[in-house]
Amino acid sequence: MNLDFSQIVPSIPFILEGIGATLKFVSVSILFGLVLGTILALCKITNKKILKWPADIYTSIFRGTPLILQLMLIHYAIPQLTGYDIAIFLSAVLAFGLNSAAYVSEIIRAGILAVDQGQVEAAEALGVPYPAMMLSIILPQALKNILPALMNEFITLTKESALVSTIGYMDLMRRAEIVGAQLYRNFEPLLIAGIIYWIMIFILTNIGSFVERRMRQSD
Amino acid sequence: MIKTIDLSKEFGNNSVLKNITTTIQPGEVVAVIGPSGSGKSTFLRCLNLLEQPSSGEIWFHDNEVANSNANKTEIRKNIGMVFQHFHLFPHMTVLENVTYAPVKVKKLKKDEAEQIAKELLAKVGLTDKESSYPNRLSGGQKQRVAIARALAMDPEAMLFDEPTSALDPEMVKEVLDVMKDLAQTGMTMVVVTHEMNFAKEVADRIMFLDEGRLMEEDKPQTFFNQPKTTRAKEFLDKVL
Ligand SMILES: Nc1ncnc2c1ncn2[C@@H]1O[C@H](COP(=O)(O)OP(=O)(O)OP(=O)(O)O)[C@@H](O)[C@H]1O
Ligand SMILES: [Mg+2]
Repeated sequence: MNLDFSQIVPSIPFILEGIGATLKFVSVSILFGLVLGTILALCKITNKKILKWPADIYTSIFRGTPLILQLMLIHYAIPQLTGYDIAIFLSAVLAFGLNSAAYVSEIIRAGILAVDQGQVEAAEALGVPYPAMMLSIILPQALKNILPALMNEFITLTKESALVSTIGYMDLMRRAEIVGAQLYRNFEPLLIAGIIYWIMIFILTNIGSFVERRMRQSD
Repeated sequence: MIKTIDLSKEFGNNSVLKNITTTIQPGEVVAVIGPSGSGKSTFLRCLNLLEQPSSGEIWFHDNEVANSNANKTEIRKNIGMVFQHFHLFPHMTVLENVTYAPVKVKKLKKDEAEQIAKELLAKVGLTDKESSYPNRLSGGQKQRVAIARALAMDPEAMLFDEPTSALDPEMVKEVLDVMKDLAQTGMTMVVVTHEMNFAKEVADRIMFLDEGRLMEEDKPQTFFNQPKTTRAKEFLDKVL
């Protein structure tokens, strides 16, 4: 085994630029998934079939098919069907956001259902309208319980984000591949990318624990 | 002030309340007593429409509220409720618990609501707890916060569902004392309770429910000394 990092040193900045690209698209996707997932979760817990059914079907489809297939479909099928080219970044965010929303909605739904029904009654008895009750009483309590599960989902999304290299998004993974192909040496750039992914997840995990501790202040 | 006419409630084919007709006068303190499962909580919960009655009417002042599409918020703003298990909002401090609804529902300014909250917390003897979280409080303290929270909406009437049943014995008194003070200020109160002494001393009227029927309603004196029905006699024999 002979590792030689000297050759790839000049390419390291090129790889590092991928961090920004990955972070940008991961954070937008997480946010998108969180908002849509919350809305889906709220639809699922109503007893209005007209809201519940679409949300359930949505979840079933996005959880029941491979993410890479969803990504390809969005990136290649939309232009084919509509004639409009879709930007790589947009396809990536759409695929990951829509997919994440399905998982997040299940996590949040379970979290909401785990909140003591007495909280709902106390809010109702005070005349608190439904949206306010959900936003400031039920969801914050649900969030506290599901934070570990949500963090898990965000970590998975961050790692799976490497899939967008397949549609040509210049993320960390893609850049490492390019450098590898240029130098005919794959191990070193991939190792660097791997370490960077690991550090990102490490930081994300710690942010999660920090937020969790902050939220447990009321315990 | 609150009047029910033939108020009935079924859960599936389980008939829980049967034709309850009664009138709660302004300033009156009514104690609702009866065996477990007799429908006391359900009756109480119908009064602020936490439970939708199956049939019958509920009048709040001059409005029928059970059948009309009356705004439930309007009724609940005017009728406070205190639960057996407190149901304080655990992620909010005591002060936030008490100010939340006045700000959100009655649109009071925050400092206005805090002013009121602080007065109420002083009244229930919890001034020093305003920035604590509920899980730092004893049961009796939690229930007093819950009472302050309900009072902060400045309701015309208060409903209590066994407010002392979940408390350790040594904390029952502090909550009952707050309720007694409240009764003395002329608050209209409907109290489901197993505290017979409280019912005797503080209530103006006893409602005795049994299997969903309003079997007897009378002044405490009369009810406790000369119950008319055998069901009431049996019940009193057990609890006194
Ligand atoms: N949401 C509900 N769904 C179905 N049945 C219910 C529901 N709430 C109450 N019941 C039933 O209605 C009956 C009366 O209940 P309720 O809670 O009003 O009695 P209670 O007099 O308050 O009893 P306790 O002293 O035990 O609190 C019981 O048989 C109960 O099982
Ligand atoms: Mg009850």
